Amino acid sequence: MAPVAPRTGDAVFANVERVNAELFTLTYGAIVRQLLTDLEEVEEVNKQLDQMGYNIGIRLIDEFLAKSNVTRCVDFKETAEVIAKVGFKMFLGVTASVTNWDADGTSCSLVLEDNPLVDFVELPDTCQGLYYCNILSGVIRGALEMVSMKTEVTWIRDMLRGDDAYELRVKLLKQVPEEYPYKDDE
Amino acid sequence: MGREVAESCVDSVVIEMVSAYCSRLYSTHPEIAARRIEAIGFQVGHQLSERYTMERPRFSDHLEAIKFICKDFWSELFKKQVDNLKTNHRGTFVLQDNRFRWLTRVSYDPTPANSDVSPASDPSQVVDKAAQATSMHLYFPCGIIRGALTNLGIPCAVSADISNLPACSFVVRIKV
Amino acid sequence: MQFFGGTEIISPSPPTPSTSVNKANMMYIFNRSGVCLLYKEWNRPLKTLNAQQDHKLMFGLLFSLKSLTAKMDPVSVDKGNLGMPQLPGQGCSFHSFCTNTYKLSFMESPSGIKIILVTHPKMGDLRESLRYIYNLYVEFVVKNPLYSPGTPIRCDLFNTSLDQYVKSLVVA
Repeated sequence: MAPVAPRTGDAVFANVERVNAELFTLTYGAIVRQLLTDLEEVEEVNKQLDQMGYNIGIRLIDEFLAKSNVTRCVDFKETAEVIAKVGFKMFLGVTASVTNWDADGTSCSLVLEDNPLVDFVELPDTCQGLYYCNILSGVIRGALEMVSMKTEVTWIRDMLRGDDAYELRVKLLKQVPEEYPYKDDE
Repeated sequence: MGREVAESCVDSVVIEMVSAYCSRLYSTHPEIAARRIEAIGFQVGHQLSERYTMERPRFSDHLEAIKFICKDFWSELFKKQVDNLKTNHRGTFVLQDNRFRWLTRVSYDPTPANSDVSPASDPSQVVDKAAQATSMHLYFPCGIIRGALTNLGIPCAVSADISNLPACSFVVRIKV
Repeated sequence: MQFFGGTEIISPSPPTPSTSVNKANMMYIFNRSGVCLLYKEWNRPLKTLNAQQDHKLMFGLLFSLKSLTAKMDPVSVDKGNLGMPQLPGQGCSFHSFCTNTYKLSFMESPSGIKIILVTHPKMGDLRESLRYIYNLYVEFVVKNPLYSPGTPIRCDLFNTSLDQYVKSLVVA
């Protein structure tokens, strides 16, 4: 039996259940607004969004792997490409580009020019310091951790802050091999 | 057709929002968590109904508006219409969806956990806990309906009844 | 509900009487930290261990076997030392082994979810079936709002669809 080939981002997106992006964008916007009211501190909102993203990432990874037929994520470079081309496409319907690799191949940028999270969004001045899309960095960090890659994900560019694109810096801290989880005490 | 995203995006964001409010932000005050989740739904419903009714004449009465929620609005959100609409003609409407999309994957095992897993061992406790957790998720759609109707000029209260998953009845009480 | 894109859920017609004997013995699902998320049994007349010991033994068997099979790989360069921890998906991977009394089929996702199905030794290649079960896991466990990741699976919809599917697997 031939192994099942990984699918392209377009193929996976065409096959998943889809909904109107409006519902998603407005729901996310309403959550951010409510968090701003409840938490008051912008920094706290950033943290909460990141935590939500992380929790989403650790769930979403299995859906991603199951539907894309990706069977290995061992090489960081390869994995970054897969996130950008298949992961983003499969969930958000857009692709990101991978650029700015550092010399030892452990950090790169994911650049998004089109981002459905921010349709209809304008940040008021009171939200200085808010990383509106912080959920995304959390998702990536959570998902990568489940495939053994501990990473740090930070925002470099943000269109809501006047930049010309969204740029996430993904830095691989270490790859965590699987360990025998039980103590040999019996 | 406008832009689309995977349904999982909405599902996961909603699941996480509910869990953030119930287990992190207001873990000891479920009633506040419920109100916040409802408020988020309200904003969403308000904005969506604004968008969906932009090119439409005003509704002539309450029933017209409720029918719009049951048909067009529901289809946009859930790709189906409400299955059954009942009213007492005194301002209460019951919108019944026999397979409510956001409940189709909700399930739990009512039998007591057999071994290592600790918590509730009494089946009725398991059922209660699960029903409570499920109802937390329903404050969001209740808020959406209330937001949508409020935007159409109909102030109301909305509650949900789940006695038979994945069916769900939303009870709309119009304020006079 | 769709699982594999356009392909509808495999809902087999009820097995005919001659094949209705259930060929599956038991099944385990582990996560990447070794938690047994699910144990299910259909036909296991002989039990010698308590549940916890049994799960631990199964996990240990897979862990060692993976390390051994990778070490003995005659073609792949990237194999590391025996007993060296591996990343899920690294090196070669075994997908089943057989004894004269049973067959064990195994799949591991890159996220470290391990699905193990023990069946009659004459059972055919179950790689596709295990992938299907992984999809069931995603639909009814991971996407169940009541499920918290890393905890034992207690989801009715998953249990029923799994049971139905496993019972439909027959020896060709």
